Amino acid sequence: MMRTAVVTAGIVALIAVLSAVHLTQGTASTGVLDVLSAVLGNGDAQTLAVLEGSRVPRLLAALLLGVALGVAGAGMQSVARNPLASPDTLAVNAGAHLAVVAIAAFGLSLPTLPAGAAAFVGGLAASVVVLGLSGGGSTSPRLVLVGSAVMLTLQSATILLLLMFEQETTGLFAWGSGSLTVSDLDATAQMTPVVAVAVAALLVMGRSLDVLALGDDNATVLGLKVRRTRVGAVLLTVALTAAAVTIAGPIGFVGLSAPVITRLLTPFVPGLGRHRLLLPVSGLVGVVIVLGADVLLRAVMGSAAAVRVPTGVMTTILGAVVLIWLARRGRSSGTPRQAPAGRVGVATSSRRLVVTSVVLVVLLVAAPAVGLMLGDRVVLLGDLANWFAGRTGTALTFVLDQRLPRVLAALVAGAALAVAGCGIQSVSRNPLAEPGLLGITAGAGLGAITLITVVPMAGAWHIAGAAGAGAMAAFALVYGLAWRSGLDSDRLVVIGIAMWSAGMALITLLIVTSDPWNTAKALTWMSGSTYGRTLEQVVPTALALALLTPLLWARHRELDLHSLDEDTPRVLGMRVERSRLVILLAAGVLAATAVSAIGVVAFVGLVAPHLARSLVGGRHARVLPVAAALGAVLVSVADTVGRTVIAPAQVPAGLVIALVGTPYFVLVLWRTREMRT
Amino acid sequence: MRLLAPALVTAAVLLSACGTTETPTTTPTESTGGPVTVTDARGKEVKLDAPATKVVTLEWAETETVASLGVMPVGVADAAGYKTWDASVPLAADVKDVGKRNEPSVDSIVALDPDLVIMAKGRYETLVGQLEKYVPVVVTQASDATRNLDRLREDTKLIAQAIGKAAEGDKLLSELDTALADGKKAVEAKGAAGTPFLMADGWLEGSTVNIRPFGKGSLVSDTAEAVGFKNAWTGEVDPQWGLGATDVEGLTAVTDPKTVLFYSASEDDVFTTGLAQNPVWQRLPFVVSEKVVKLEPGTWTFGGPKSVIHVAEQFVKAATA
Repeated sequence: MMRTAVVTAGIVALIAVLSAVHLTQGTASTGVLDVLSAVLGNGDAQTLAVLEGSRVPRLLAALLLGVALGVAGAGMQSVARNPLASPDTLAVNAGAHLAVVAIAAFGLSLPTLPAGAAAFVGGLAASVVVLGLSGGGSTSPRLVLVGSAVMLTLQSATILLLLMFEQETTGLFAWGSGSLTVSDLDATAQMTPVVAVAVAALLVMGRSLDVLALGDDNATVLGLKVRRTRVGAVLLTVALTAAAVTIAGPIGFVGLSAPVITRLLTPFVPGLGRHRLLLPVSGLVGVVIVLGADVLLRAVMGSAAAVRVPTGVMTTILGAVVLIWLARRGRSSGTPRQAPAGRVGVATSSRRLVVTSVVLVVLLVAAPAVGLMLGDRVVLLGDLANWFAGRTGTALTFVLDQRLPRVLAALVAGAALAVAGCGIQSVSRNPLAEPGLLGITAGAGLGAITLITVVPMAGAWHIAGAAGAGAMAAFALVYGLAWRSGLDSDRLVVIGIAMWSAGMALITLLIVTSDPWNTAKALTWMSGSTYGRTLEQVVPTALALALLTPLLWARHRELDLHSLDEDTPRVLGMRVERSRLVILLAAGVLAATAVSAIGVVAFVGLVAPHLARSLVGGRHARVLPVAAALGAVLVSVADTVGRTVIAPAQVPAGLVIALVGTPYFVLVLWRTREMRT
Repeated sequence: MRLLAPALVTAAVLLSACGTTETPTTTPTESTGGPVTVTDARGKEVKLDAPATKVVTLEWAETETVASLGVMPVGVADAAGYKTWDASVPLAADVKDVGKRNEPSVDSIVALDPDLVIMAKGRYETLVGQLEKYVPVVVTQASDATRNLDRLREDTKLIAQAIGKAAEGDKLLSELDTALADGKKAVEAKGAAGTPFLMADGWLEGSTVNIRPFGKGSLVSDTAEAVGFKNAWTGEVDPQWGLGATDVEGLTAVTDPKTVLFYSASEDDVFTTGLAQNPVWQRLPFVVSEKVVKLEPGTWTFGGPKSVIHVAEQFVKAATA
């Protein structure tokens, strides 16, 4: 009891100090002394106005957000019985954000409460989908994987709206990362009762949540209405998250970090194991995180510059660190994972092989041909023939000449990502590993966009080089962090997802500080697009593909062996580490050049190898070329669709892929789950 | 065999897509004058066989300038947005939309078979090279926070020359000069010369407010200073557009009680909806003295000469009312 009081008092004191500092930071000249004298009752009218009109609303918003997200996170982790659950990983943030952005995009300006209600509906729908797909709740990192996939889809839909309504949604880009620049107390005031009631209700449920933690069966035996408790808790936590999103947009990872940090205190404060204490203390820790991030941001960047930077960027980076730490700490999932190849029938009839090859070749020709034909201006095959023969008129030549690099970029990038995915999945023995989910493409994107920021006119080769460096750094980090006397595949992906979030947050940070009036460029870059590609930009990817695919293919036996288990390759005398390094380097370079060609695209490296294995079995001699062809076709089709559906405006290919890839990803998760039981 | 179905569908699609869309005859465009050579904002010489008559513009200011010189563009980027944000020169109803300003569709542009594309510097570097292989491209400076009015004159002359409207261009510029000079006289006559002003736009999302002050060097600022105002915003701005970013308390940097606030809001009006109740806002000098002027909807603050004249008129009106 004593310790509890001491720790709580300590956190409250920390909040008090942070709040005091927070009040002195701002764009007005009102400084420490002014605030101090105002607090002592001698403040001039100006200081009081600044405090009342800007600083205090900001502070109160931060306090409310911290409490709402901290408590929501703690509640979700309890319901899901998973320390990785949070408003972010259950996609609640993303769902609520999509709802709010959709309303803004259609030109509606809703008052706070209806907007909050819309956010609630969006968040609830997302969490229901994620919890449903991941089997309610369990300790597995699967929840994060499903949640991240759903989050990606929702974010893609959000970005799509932002791109289509650029002028209406200028500020939403920054807001999409969570911002505290509130203009008044209205939203905070209206959301405070919601948060207060939800927190109180969760506290009342504290005992039930304690019992729920014992497991469904035990809880039932002890007379708990498990279902009712769970549904009630989910509704309350979603309401808390929706309130937070309504005020400030999705502030990343606070809901994840706060309860995790709180639980870290449990060894010193045993009482924290109980929900009646755990929930409020998580709320307080949430406040520390939000306030701390905001104070730090303003201290480092200066208040005037910090206006542009969403607070959520800081909390996301912080949260990514916590997520990585959690993943490293967690024990391996126990059951050794089956190799991806072992999951599908290996036996494949030669007839099927022939059919598959023929169809693929046809598709490989058809996809780019259709890609060349479709667009704002539909051209026909005869035009294409004329064009090949150099007999088209100026206008048509022009259309086709500029479509060609885009079609080629989509093809080679798709193939490169697919081949990279094969290599990474084999070596990591993880059917969920792929360049995007391992943070590699985000790293490459960060590298490339850093270079573009510093040297706006950088050439294609330099951009590819910077992307490569970024990809390698990200991958080295992910791999190094995931390696703890062996690779646990789920851990690898969770760390990868953390790296991906942090990378995207850093890209946001770079763009809002360097080119604040060009959010569209940023969105396009972050969501993968072939817009404005030139043949020169396709060359690095094409070269990498031409050199590295044969290299990997020549090692197809090594790839097969890697995907079996850790020991067989050694027993057979393979130099495992060296082989692994070569394969991973090749995959990394491929992924990086793909990013430099079309930006950050997720899921291709995952979907293509899976499809390939289901078509031709698990042997890499076959999987590699088939996956490469599938990847090329997939991105090419996505690109064509994106260029055509809302023409003359266009949807980045990466968004189309995410909208299509997520269901597939979830399906893969679903199937791997069935295989296990 | 489940693969056969898609294969068949594909084949069917491909077969039905045979044929051509081009009509073999190309009518030569009637020339309205001799060859023109202009040097654009990249320092590049662009040669045209004849002044361009079928023009595609990819930014609103350029759209406005071309239209105000008496040539209706055949295609513009984001036509709907232009109608909302730049009302100074209306577009004809049959002007084609060629996509968003951030990513204009090359397909759409080419489908119009233009003889010139006019685009703004800095928005899509890679596109220039691609377009240029087929159609002459003239790149305007679009904005330069060190000399925005002179920049506007150069851009206007450049465009006028390229579309064979040099005389109209000069006329438009002298119209601009007259408007600015008359405005300045009127302001001086009222003894209002040197009136400090703050120009901003802003947006509200959720309860988050963003304010974008137009600092020294922005086109509006240069316009206002040309008619005798003095920009009161001293915060950091970007070197191209002269724009800053701040929140409501950042506005307290403006202390002169004579300051007039001009703001533009063609859609949401955050200054009256989002900020009216805010105590910091209520104490700002221009709010206290009720010197808050909303520019008319459709006043494009990054526009061409017509927009600048429109801005100048509204500033002068505010000073002389």
